[in-house]
Amino acid sequence: MASSSKTSAPTTTAPPPSATPSPASSFRQSPWVRWGAPLLLVVGLAVLPLIGTESANDTLARIGVFAVAVLGLNVVMGYTGQVSLGQIFFLGLGAYVTAYGVQSGWNIVLVFVLTCLIPAVAGLLVALAAARLGGLAIAMVTIALPIVGVPLAKRLSEFTGGSQGMSARFVEAPEGSGLYDDQWQLYLVLVIGGIVFLLTYFLVRGKYGRAFAIVKGNENVASSMGISPYRYKVLAFTIASLIGGVSGFLYMVVVQYTSPETMSFGHSIELLVAMVIGGAGSIVGSILGGVFYVVVPDLTNAIDPSLTALLQGALLLAVLFVLPGGLVSLPRAVMRGLRRSPAGRGSAAPPTTPSSTTGSGTAAEPTETERQGSA
Amino acid sequence: MEKFVQLVVDGLSTGSVYAALALAIVLVHSATGLINFAQGGMAVLAAYVAWVLTNQGVPLVLAIVASILFSFVLGAVIERFLMRRFERGDPDTAVVVTVGLLTLVTGIAGWLWGYNNQQFPSLFPLDTVSVLGVSVSIRSIGTTLVIVVAMVATQALFVGTKLGLALRAVAINPQSAAYSGLPVERLLMVGWGIAAVLGAVAGALVAPQLTLTPGMLDNALVYALAAVILGGLTSPVGVVIAAWLIGVLENLAAVYVGFIGFDLKVAVPFILIFVVLIVRPQGLFGRKTVVRV
Amino acid sequence: MNRHFGSRKAAGIAAVSALALTLTACGGGADSGRSGDAAEGAPSPGITDDSVTLGITTPLSGATAGPGTCTVAGVTAYFGMKNAEGGIEFGDGKTRTVEIEALDDTYDPQQAAANYDSLKGDVFAMTAGLGTPTNRAWREAAIADEVPQALIMTGDPIFSDTEESPWQLGFVPIYQNEGEAFGELLAGSSADHKVAILSQNDDFGEGYVEGFKSAVEGADNIEIVQELTYEATDTSVDAQITELANSGADVIFNAMSVTPLTISALQKAQQLNWKPNWFLPSNTSSPGAILQPGGAAAFPGVYSVSFAKAPASPAFAQDEDVQTYLSALKEYGNYPEPPAFPHCQWSWMVGATLEQAFMEMEEPTRDSFMEALRGIEGFEAPLMLPDTSVSTTEAGQPAVSTVVVQKYNGKGYDTVESFE
Repeated sequence: MASSSKTSAPTTTAPPPSATPSPASSFRQSPWVRWGAPLLLVVGLAVLPLIGTESANDTLARIGVFAVAVLGLNVVMGYTGQVSLGQIFFLGLGAYVTAYGVQSGWNIVLVFVLTCLIPAVAGLLVALAAARLGGLAIAMVTIALPIVGVPLAKRLSEFTGGSQGMSARFVEAPEGSGLYDDQWQLYLVLVIGGIVFLLTYFLVRGKYGRAFAIVKGNENVASSMGISPYRYKVLAFTIASLIGGVSGFLYMVVVQYTSPETMSFGHSIELLVAMVIGGAGSIVGSILGGVFYVVVPDLTNAIDPSLTALLQGALLLAVLFVLPGGLVSLPRAVMRGLRRSPAGRGSAAPPTTPSSTTGSGTAAEPTETERQGSA
Repeated sequence: MEKFVQLVVDGLSTGSVYAALALAIVLVHSATGLINFAQGGMAVLAAYVAWVLTNQGVPLVLAIVASILFSFVLGAVIERFLMRRFERGDPDTAVVVTVGLLTLVTGIAGWLWGYNNQQFPSLFPLDTVSVLGVSVSIRSIGTTLVIVVAMVATQALFVGTKLGLALRAVAINPQSAAYSGLPVERLLMVGWGIAAVLGAVAGALVAPQLTLTPGMLDNALVYALAAVILGGLTSPVGVVIAAWLIGVLENLAAVYVGFIGFDLKVAVPFILIFVVLIVRPQGLFGRKTVVRV
Repeated sequence: MNRHFGSRKAAGIAAVSALALTLTACGGGADSGRSGDAAEGAPSPGITDDSVTLGITTPLSGATAGPGTCTVAGVTAYFGMKNAEGGIEFGDGKTRTVEIEALDDTYDPQQAAANYDSLKGDVFAMTAGLGTPTNRAWREAAIADEVPQALIMTGDPIFSDTEESPWQLGFVPIYQNEGEAFGELLAGSSADHKVAILSQNDDFGEGYVEGFKSAVEGADNIEIVQELTYEATDTSVDAQITELANSGADVIFNAMSVTPLTISALQKAQQLNWKPNWFLPSNTSSPGAILQPGGAAAFPGVYSVSFAKAPASPAFAQDEDVQTYLSALKEYGNYPEPPAFPHCQWSWMVGATLEQAFMEMEEPTRDSFMEALRGIEGFEAPLMLPDTSVSTTEAGQPAVSTVVVQKYNGKGYDTVESFE
């Protein structure tokens, strides 16, 4: 895979490049924007559950669940470049741990901690073995997780309820809060999911994120820089599993039921699709991936429930055909389109490859020129 | 002992189903460096074409030949008008595009022909021959023979023909292939076309056993992928042998290894992959690839 | 970690979000009436003076789309026919047409729950959906919302337990009943039998086996010699059949719900020259789609349980019920070919049973509907076989709890009283 030269322009959320500030980036550097925008976002999210209808809140909450799952996948795949087809297994594991803990009457905080720890440990063990392999081999080892996980869940019916699954309705709005259950659920998803997103944001912007990017770019280079690809792959995989476990907890908050079908192989592929459609290696892309995962089945059902597969396939291809970099590249594609059209070469946009890493501004610069050169 | 041999024979016959699909996947990978998740879906579409023709009274062999031609065109068209946009981009995106293609193709089959299980006529009779107390159907023997022929043909294509060499050159490095004067774009179309042809053969071979439905090859896909990785991405012979190995070991493990049983036998190919790849990262029969810094 | 961006800002965000949460927590109480209790006797959602809307969530794509499509087609065809005749006169004296809103859940519990959430405000009742996990996923939500989950297509006993599931009722016999019916027949045989069991590794297979075992328990002419399972996602059961053929059994109890695997199991046994008596469950015993391609005539006897007439069976080709059904399926159900899955017939019967409940319900409310639904006794729905009926009054049982055992005669089925 010749992906060594494929770093690309920072996403809109990236810290602005230090060199040659464009109007847009100086706008982003203004303190009002830097402080105001997140504040506005938080206030908006805090008010959101109160104004939505029940079904809107439910949809938003499910988007949150799968956005977190996609975020986990992004850590190992989008940022570190290791193909994982097993992310749904960790969601399922987290959901089962939550359901079992709730049914056994354990303290919910303990349940949550276990929902983080058990998938993380499982992920660590798998990664210790799988990270020795590279490329497609890692994909095949991770593919095994959901495929073996489903019959395993059936066999361990004492803990999992077998193929009849497990229900756990444990999230009810606290007395006196005046909230409806759907509002309370959405708040839980927003707060827990928000914390996970924030922590992941700091992770991938920081030292570890840079190491992930180097491992993704070229493992030999990483080794020569004293970064052990093996260790960082294991780390990324473990974090992805932990985040998957958290998404399993949120799954139980929102769906309140889990069964072996929850972790079927097909859903793992759908998570991968959601990640790429949203935008690989992007925080905002993870959210857009969650939106795609949840909204598209609802949308195709609304158009014609007997043609869902056809419509979903067509939609997926259409989105990627227009935006090979995923939904997150839409603003950039529009900007480019605007810049191009006066020069009279607006129609044939070249295929872009924004497997965007956390590359610093300097790393991003040559790519931009490179792309313009090839256009 | 008789049971043991019978289980081995059964495993070979099941493995042939995986092998049929795996061969097509390996061909696309060799020609484009891409894993095509939609290979099974395209094969199903070809099988439906053959099925529709036989329902119109066309003899089976002619119908299959027609479906093979249809597949070649389909494969080339998909490469030209869909995949080309993604071939030089991010490989993950290209794989996801094939997933989308699989969904679309399955949806089209469901829309046109419904989700009922359709009976697909077999090239080979279901009669049984008995050798040393082990019974095997003519259909299994025929399927296996066709796959061996396809395997030899694919191997010969890659190793012994100019076309094969050119296809491989394109897959390894499209840019330098273009500089050395190869018609890269046409070669890519041909590569997809030939892979789709192999898929069509696979579809016609396994449809009588699995019955024709839009999702006919979904369950076989995972096994086919396992065979591809296990056998080594570059070797048609290796992939077919890996598929047989998976089919046989899976049966034996289910029957003779107590804790695996029939529910967890699906783990067998993956354990096998893991063990093999630790020892031989390039797969059982694959060539070592050199990673440039 | 990115220092200059780090902790101070995080603290700020945390403080703001905490503040916002407090504010909103105080403000939330002003809303009212989300899925709250309507006034006594006021119409429930999804019903007007001239129409009523029913919701279905069922797999319409993916591996179970075949039977899933049927669960929608039958009931849609039934009410399509009734609507064309002017509608149904309800117990409150008003004549209403019945509309169906069906959504695809691809057999994913999460999507089924989402479908339920999006339908529950618009539909009067949910019905006819296929699948155990996909119905279980929103069972408790339906109870909390007091939305009927009526006449669904799963043999999971929990839906027929009135205590646990006050707003639910299964339609098809629980799996245990079907297994038990064949077990009783076999236990009554005059000869000794060795039985091999091959069952699907889920609640479907387990339910059948449990019912069968409870019926043959204590019968000293029956010995279960070997028990194996398979996964619904397997591509082949050859190895299982090979192993069971070695057991020397003369009866195979085959609780299988996957069409191609059932056909290939029948074929494989013949190839091994193993010709036991064969038992198949009601959903994989279609004479045209499974037994004929599987060459079932080679076996001394292929038995199944049923409560519905098989349209493909020559015995019913001229049957008036069957003719009406097939033409309505084509005209109103968007299902042009004769169905290969019995779920189409079952769904048609669900339509007829719902009609019975509608004719008895005195108020346009979900409460009144459930009361009427639970009061049906001995209703011989169209397509029902003699000696079977819909009865919803028996505790712990789904709407259909009686089945008859049938034996394949090379073309269709004959009801049998004893094992020969």
